Amino acid sequence: MNILKAGYNGILLPDYNIGFDFSSPQAQHIFISHAHSDHMPYKSNKPVYCTRNTFRLMQKRGYKDEARVLNFGEPLQLGNAQATLFPAGHILGSAMIYIETDEGSVLYTGDYRTPPSPATEGFKCPKQVDHFITEATFSLPVYKWASYDKITDDVQQFAIQTLDEGYTPVFLAYNLGKAQEVMHMLAPTGLPVQIHGAGYKLCDVYEEAGIDLGKYEAYDRDTCEGKILVTTNSAINNGFASNVKKKRLAYCSGWATHEASRTQLTVDKLIPLSDHLDFFELIHLCKKLNPQKVYITHTPNADVVQHYLNELNITSCFLDEVNI
Amino acid sequence: MLSGQDDKLFIMDNSFRTLAKTAQNILETRSKNSKIAICARYFRELESNEDLNRAAQFLGEGAFSSISGRRVTIGSRTYSTCAANFCEIDYEKVFKPAKTALGSSSEAIEKLMHNIAAARAKRTQAQLSLSQVESIYKDIAHVSSRTDKQEILRDTWKQMTPLEIKFFIRIMTRGSLRIGFESRSVVAAISQAFNKKVKDVCYAHMIMGSIGRTAVLCKNDQLNKATFKLFHPLSFMLASSIKNCAIENLSDYIAEEKFDGMRCQIHISGERVELYSRDLNDITHSFPEIVGFFAERNLPDLVLDGEVCVYKNNEIFPFQLLQKRMGRKNPSKEVIEKYPVLFIAYDVLFYDSGPTFKKTLIERRKILTKLAEQFNLPISNQFEITGKDDIDELFERALAHGNEGLMLKKKESTYEYGQRKKSWLKVKKPGGTLDTILMYAHAGGGKHGGDYSDFTLGIRVAEDERYEEEFIPIGKAYAEYTNEEMKKLNNRIKDLTVEKYGPTLGLIPEIVIELEFDDIQVNKRTKANYTLRLPRFKAIRWNLGPDDTDTLKDVEQMYEEKINRDRIKQDKNPSFHFNGEYKWSLF
Repeated sequence: MNILKAGYNGILLPDYNIGFDFSSPQAQHIFISHAHSDHMPYKSNKPVYCTRNTFRLMQKRGYKDEARVLNFGEPLQLGNAQATLFPAGHILGSAMIYIETDEGSVLYTGDYRTPPSPATEGFKCPKQVDHFITEATFSLPVYKWASYDKITDDVQQFAIQTLDEGYTPVFLAYNLGKAQEVMHMLAPTGLPVQIHGAGYKLCDVYEEAGIDLGKYEAYDRDTCEGKILVTTNSAINNGFASNVKKKRLAYCSGWATHEASRTQLTVDKLIPLSDHLDFFELIHLCKKLNPQKVYITHTPNADVVQHYLNELNITSCFLDEVNI
Repeated sequence: MLSGQDDKLFIMDNSFRTLAKTAQNILETRSKNSKIAICARYFRELESNEDLNRAAQFLGEGAFSSISGRRVTIGSRTYSTCAANFCEIDYEKVFKPAKTALGSSSEAIEKLMHNIAAARAKRTQAQLSLSQVESIYKDIAHVSSRTDKQEILRDTWKQMTPLEIKFFIRIMTRGSLRIGFESRSVVAAISQAFNKKVKDVCYAHMIMGSIGRTAVLCKNDQLNKATFKLFHPLSFMLASSIKNCAIENLSDYIAEEKFDGMRCQIHISGERVELYSRDLNDITHSFPEIVGFFAERNLPDLVLDGEVCVYKNNEIFPFQLLQKRMGRKNPSKEVIEKYPVLFIAYDVLFYDSGPTFKKTLIERRKILTKLAEQFNLPISNQFEITGKDDIDELFERALAHGNEGLMLKKKESTYEYGQRKKSWLKVKKPGGTLDTILMYAHAGGGKHGGDYSDFTLGIRVAEDERYEEEFIPIGKAYAEYTNEEMKKLNNRIKDLTVEKYGPTLGLIPEIVIELEFDDIQVNKRTKANYTLRLPRFKAIRWNLGPDDTDTLKDVEQMYEEKINRDRIKQDKNPSFHFNGEYKWSLF
């Protein structure tokens, strides 16, 4: 099976004319795993395949062209290959792409999380995978996520305590996916939330998908004090709520595992909440799938994953950049 | 999340776990005053004097009191490989990348101990007391082989939570606890805990040198009992750079040559003689000829401040040769003959029965001169100065002697131990400059949060057959620039980043930095075998490229020139005063 890394974040199956998160004349059939900016295109001269929710989110983020919407679990015949989408648990709409051919099967994970974020369609993995192309963003044993309940408790407690002490709580979270997951965690408290405009415009897609985001409105500088605020790290450095003197910041990211991010970002609280799976889940999944070969992408530490896979007698490689 | 972060309200007791949780709590609190309040509450709740002593010492000084002369000497490789074994992971393939990602071995160890099932299975939560942990530190200090040290570490970690292990390591290695709470804050917490003035606690700490004992006196309302005792070193008085100070009247100052040696405090009582280095370590056993020199002179009880220099045939040799004597206990006769050392006194802190540090420099100098005449001790020469011309002339002469430059000392000043103020000024010439390459950028904290302002600089070894790399590190430096230059530098860094290790970026070697430094020293533990003293940015050389940088051979040559250059002998116009020829003998 020929599997190549292509473009900035894309993968190409040249023998089947299939590209994942990658657009180029070389690939006839383009699949977009999810609507994060490092994976989605902003234009395409041919329709891309993705889920309905991914398409809607992409449109709200500026994608102008067409898409062919696929449902999870519905196979699509593309010449001598068959493609099926599986829910990836990363953000709403995120999909893993499963390709079956005479040469065997390929699963491209895109970004994924298991156990899945409850603010997604869940996580489901095909049982049989020959070629497993996986992201490995957090591929060191220092990354192990706490249970969803524990993190939810941390998020709620931070908001409630901060408000109790007369401060405005601010969650620093990426505006697609993480922001809505934090809001979903806060929904049971019934406390009012204001979210940065870039994230606000994406929220109705979540609500239409049946995900409770609680009581929220768009960020308004004049009324934001005393509400729970959700914004990005870059916005907070560019004037977001700069009129509110008494505020406390919580950084919600897998990178919040690093003690150093406390001083780098000058935040009060680190909440390691990631939309990727942790190292232990990654190794566990590889072991469960036991594929012919694992192809590792998106990581500075492919060597570490390979070291653990070697011990499990699983063949693997690092999909290094191949210039096309 | 980790164990320390789940329960902010915990029962205070004398366990090491409570100390670790308190430290973590301080780390997670941003305001300085709240940090101090947390620590003060902890100190107040400790029942016994002994535990208060230990807790203040662990948080403020490290495993042992800084005046105890005792140290845990343990390298990061010793405890890191031990931790990797404990977690049953590969040191090279797994531990090292984890440490690189987090930028801290103790933090990596904490997380691995928490995450890895094999490590969890080995640990029971034994609640070690502060006193037990103190004994463990003593045990580690007592053994010398790596295996023995690792055995103690393993046994200890079996009884600790990951959070305890992290702080156990940080206290042991006497680096910063990295909780944004330095010794000054501990002093503030002690004063708040027991309702005393910060100024008084600070004084007691300075004079006794032990933060633990200070806390105990403070608690028992006995701060006035803090006294200076022989064989408890006093923090050194430090000098500021003359560049940063405007001097109103030069004749208020007296000049001395700044010796190219090692600062040292000597305590003498009869035949008992002890030497302390600037970081208050007991270095007596490294310099037996100095001990011999003072022990046989029938001196009154005495504490002197001065400089240890290699001195042979009327010549003061550079610091680089003194390095051959430093950190080496009980040197052989051959080594002493090759690099004999002399102690040159320039201040007296205790004489006969009382401290003299509250007297003025003139009064102290009178005592010192009298002692030098009576007992034939080497003391620095002092020179009156009236104008800038005097300084220039004396400065040139000092350099010709092989010394570093000049010290200007205010005549009416007291001995301001532990402080760096304007009463002592140093006049120095930079040791040199090198064109180096920017290899790594480290994210800065504080006001530079988000920007990269700390850098690892490299020297070229591309044509050097001893190395496979193109560049190897020669030093770390901090860049202080205007916002505009900083922005330009940070933008360029973004373009050149090839690797990211947590807070550190690996860069394509493109940016050339002209680096200024005070001195070059041999350091066998570094890849280059040399380290620079006080390296700092002189200029970003945008016009130069990687091929224009200096090579390791250039560094070696600069070092050799420094060692071998001609120095005026001390028999005429000497830098210090000493009657007769210096002959050393062992006591």
